[in-house]
Amino acid sequence: MTVLPWFAAAWLFAIGIYGIASSRNLIHLIGCLSVCQSSTYVLLLSVGYRWGAAAPIFYDHPPGTMAVDPVVQALVLTDIVVGATVTALLLAMVLQVGRKYGELDPQKLRPLVARAHR
Amino acid sequence: MNRRWRIALLGLAGICLTPAIWRVATALPRFGEPSEQYGPAVNRLGPALRHVSNMVSAVNFDFRGIDTLGEEFMLLGAITGAVVLLRGARGEDLTAKAARLPGRQVIGRAESTILICRLFSPAIMLFGLYMALHAMVTPGGGFQGGVVIASGLLLTYLGEGYRGWRRLIASPVLAALEGGGALLFALAGLAPMAAGGAFMQNVLPLGTFRDVFSGGLMLVTNAGVGLAVTGGFGMLFLEFLEETRATQSEDTR
Amino acid sequence: MTVLLAALFLLVALSGTGVVLTREPRRQVFALAVNGTVLTLLFFALQAPDVALSELAVGTAATPLLFLVTLAAVRISRHR
Repeated sequence: MTVLPWFAAAWLFAIGIYGIASSRNLIHLIGCLSVCQSSTYVLLLSVGYRWGAAAPIFYDHPPGTMAVDPVVQALVLTDIVVGATVTALLLAMVLQVGRKYGELDPQKLRPLVARAHR
Repeated sequence: MNRRWRIALLGLAGICLTPAIWRVATALPRFGEPSEQYGPAVNRLGPALRHVSNMVSAVNFDFRGIDTLGEEFMLLGAITGAVVLLRGARGEDLTAKAARLPGRQVIGRAESTILICRLFSPAIMLFGLYMALHAMVTPGGGFQGGVVIASGLLLTYLGEGYRGWRRLIASPVLAALEGGGALLFALAGLAPMAAGGAFMQNVLPLGTFRDVFSGGLMLVTNAGVGLAVTGGFGMLFLEFLEETRATQSEDTR
Repeated sequence: MTVLLAALFLLVALSGTGVVLTREPRRQVFALAVNGTVLTLLFFALQAPDVALSELAVGTAATPLLFLVTLAAVRISRHR
């Protein structure tokens, strides 16, 4: 249990990279990229956790009670929202590629580009 | 490169890096026993320094406010890029109706769906507004509240269909929300400099602890972020859903 | 609490694997929504309610919708 979060984050990142490398569809690739992003969220939040501590919101319990780290939570919070907009930008690019070439397979895209330059 | 070669190279990299990952994972501090000083210091000193109870919002909007400014403009940049990409490639002959593919059965929207969406969409938008306003006392803030309001807009699309939704949503309003929010954030950083303080220094009265309107300048930056995220996500949904419109040559109805 | 956290970490690793191994994009959208929900539960158990709210709204509503609309638009343009 003491090292499970680190290995969970490493596993998520590794399986995300494997998904990106072996993808046959650009939209599937972007989904695997979001798995890579979620591995960083898991790692950051696990770094800040403390056994038996409460959330860092001192409304119900008085300030001074043991709480988890709020700085990493702030990092992950903004990261999730901005990551979603970057995913949207990538999807817009994939949409243009799908329109122009009619093909979403990364392997089949390169010969199309080469053929256009001949 | 062939797909097989790519995966083989990836496997080779994985084998080479696995001892390093093992070493790092066992050398990190044990889960649940962190050894840093900054977080506990924020927890100890934050409520007295800024009179807010949500420490995550305090870190986001005051202690590390300049990082949030950067994230805000990153959001603005990504959304602007997506909108420019989508609008630039769109033609001029699009109608206001959703496209229909031939051979696909058109199933009408169930009345229960329309009813539930009409009931819940304003409620969810109100809930998102509540979340955004209570940033200093409960879990919430501009980021979360903005996305929840935008998903309330999405429920409206589900209930009304594309044409009804487009009549409700005006693109210039969303663009003004997004740009105005980012501008408000930047001004909230620059205004204290005009009053003689540092960039984004908390010069407004701090209020009482556990009050909704505590925190001083954090309220302004929180409002800026909420507006920008609402407008930004609304614009994204709008531009993406416009890609599904029918062209005038297909529209025979 | 230990058992809950350990189970949630394993569940997150499992759902991430599920997202990658679902090759068909139309099915992967639902795997993404499930992944978002499981991540929300994990963040909630790690005493991070702000982050859980953010991930819930983004990972189950916004991101799957953007994927679905992209798939629909590509299919429409392919038909044209």
